[in-house]
Amino acid sequence: MAEATLGFTITNPHIRNSIHPPKHDLNPFSKSLRQCSTSGFFTGSHQLQESKKKRASLCKVNALPDWPLMAVLVENFNGIDFITTKTVTHLSDRAIKNVYVFYIFYTCWGCLFFGSMKDPYYDSEYYRGDGGDGTGHWIYDKQADIEESARRELWREELIEEIEQKVGSLPELEEAGRK
Amino acid sequence: MSSTSLLPKTISPFLTTPPSLPSTHFFININKPCFFNPQGQVDHSPCSRKLTKYSTPHAKKWNEWLDPFNDGDDPDLEYGSLFADGKQDEDPRPPDDPDNPYGFLKFPPGYAVEIASLGSKVRGDVRRCCCLLSGGVYENLLFFPAIQLIKDRYPGVQIDVVATARGKQTYEMNKNVRWADVYDIDQDFPDPGEYNDMLGVIRNRYYDMVLSTKLAGFGHAAFLFMSTARDRVSYVYPNVNAAGAGLLLSETFKAESMNLADGGYHMYHQMLDWLGRPFRSVPRQPVPPLKVSISRRLKEFVEEKYKAAGAVKGKYIVLHGIESDSQASMQSGSDTDSLLPIEVWGQIAEAMRGFKPVFVIPHEKERENVEEAVWLLLDDPSIVFITTPGQLAALINDSAGVIATNTAAIQLANAREKPSIALFGSEEKSQVFIPNAEEKKCTIVSSKTGRLKDIDVGEVIKAMQTFDLSLVLA
Repeated sequence: MAEATLGFTITNPHIRNSIHPPKHDLNPFSKSLRQCSTSGFFTGSHQLQESKKKRASLCKVNALPDWPLMAVLVENFNGIDFITTKTVTHLSDRAIKNVYVFYIFYTCWGCLFFGSMKDPYYDSEYYRGDGGDGTGHWIYDKQADIEESARRELWREELIEEIEQKVGSLPELEEAGRK
Repeated sequence: MSSTSLLPKTISPFLTTPPSLPSTHFFININKPCFFNPQGQVDHSPCSRKLTKYSTPHAKKWNEWLDPFNDGDDPDLEYGSLFADGKQDEDPRPPDDPDNPYGFLKFPPGYAVEIASLGSKVRGDVRRCCCLLSGGVYENLLFFPAIQLIKDRYPGVQIDVVATARGKQTYEMNKNVRWADVYDIDQDFPDPGEYNDMLGVIRNRYYDMVLSTKLAGFGHAAFLFMSTARDRVSYVYPNVNAAGAGLLLSETFKAESMNLADGGYHMYHQMLDWLGRPFRSVPRQPVPPLKVSISRRLKEFVEEKYKAAGAVKGKYIVLHGIESDSQASMQSGSDTDSLLPIEVWGQIAEAMRGFKPVFVIPHEKERENVEEAVWLLLDDPSIVFITTPGQLAALINDSAGVIATNTAAIQLANAREKPSIALFGSEEKSQVFIPNAEEKKCTIVSSKTGRLKDIDVGEVIKAMQTFDLSLVLA
């Protein structure tokens, strides 16, 4: 763990340098850190650490339990330890497969869904025209309905003809009666 | 029931002696109902009213299997106002309710739609009627009087038709029909999907009466039974194939032959007799004549068609019945020898004076043949391609007359009261298909040999004088 800590701390020394107190100026940073982590922990701020430890154990939540831990960085700053946990995520084969499956599914669905959102065909009269409102509830303009209404029309025509014949004969009769 | 078989033996000694034991009372009492009569003897119990039912003249034998508890009408029953005499009311629909929160439900509150009035059941009202028709255009056309009769007998009835694809086209000319569906009931092995679909359609419409002109065996009777209509009326086979059909039908007519169309114009007379039967105070309904109605749109469409062919309204004569293998030749189902070759038609057309002959072809491929055959005789023959009976009727309606073989054209001409010449293969056939020709301005020319091909063209030409006469009269 110590090696890992060393390796990580070297990567960004500037921030540490600016944060750290001047008394550690001469020493290399890693060394001071190591000193801190070894000595400071148990000597200088023992009291504080004790109480902190208790609280940490109380509210420690491990959000990602399976993620492999790569490094733990502990810094002492003004007597307060900052613990930074560094991890590198390697997904398992199964997880990688899941990601790709999701990606494929999303792509397929997306092509269909977003592709049809602005489609001149689906907005055309051909698709929308014949009773289709695009909601899945289609009202077909049925041939049977057309024929049925045509027959009803025929019935009305005949009725009108009959009435016309009767009405036409009525004035003639009236005229004949007057004469 | 084992004890009842022993009854006669056990009872007979007791009957002779005065009843002393209490147990004999029990035996004598149960002997009264007629269905306990083990010997099948004629009893004098109330069930004997059934026998009076059989004895009425012209009544068919009552099928006991249909309803074993039907003892016939009660002569002592007095019908109140609920069972009003006479025909049914035109429209029993309750008034619209504009305040109904559901909008589409037009029933006033408290009105139970599901419960039809008992009176309508007792009177035998028919609100929705379905006619399943077999055969083509000709057979469907001859069913028109029956539809008119149903309409007259049951005011306000909604008549639907299920017919073959060809036959359905006829209902373009019938104003009394509501829905016309295509389903071929003549198929022996129908597609199960289509069968179920049509069954569902018929069930969903809740018919009161279903009429069928297919000769029903058990299978077709089962189809009608499953329609759940109250009255299931059908023709049945005249032979052993009708076995079991009577159980599933409420009224059956035994066909005179295996082909109903042999009956000619009156092919449905048994059904018409039954439909128009007198009932309580309703007198016998007369059978109306064959009438077709042609819509304005159809007339306009056909007018354009024959004008394009070079014919003028009222100045042409329709020739129908050209020999062809087309399905649209509109022959009768029983008369297969009813088409003439085009050469004979050419001779008839040649002799025509004062009118333009219009050849009706059932298929476009016949156009060439007709042109070839008559180009020497006529300089500009009018050829009209017509397959539907509606268009044919419109063409006939605007014509001066019709010369046709035994096709639907001749019946249409009679229905529209146009002068016509009917060409028949034999005298008997002509009498069957056109029973009263003189009344209908129809001249019949029949072949002497029994084959239509040998028809005497000279006679046809002689008969054509009727058209000239009608022109003079007009």
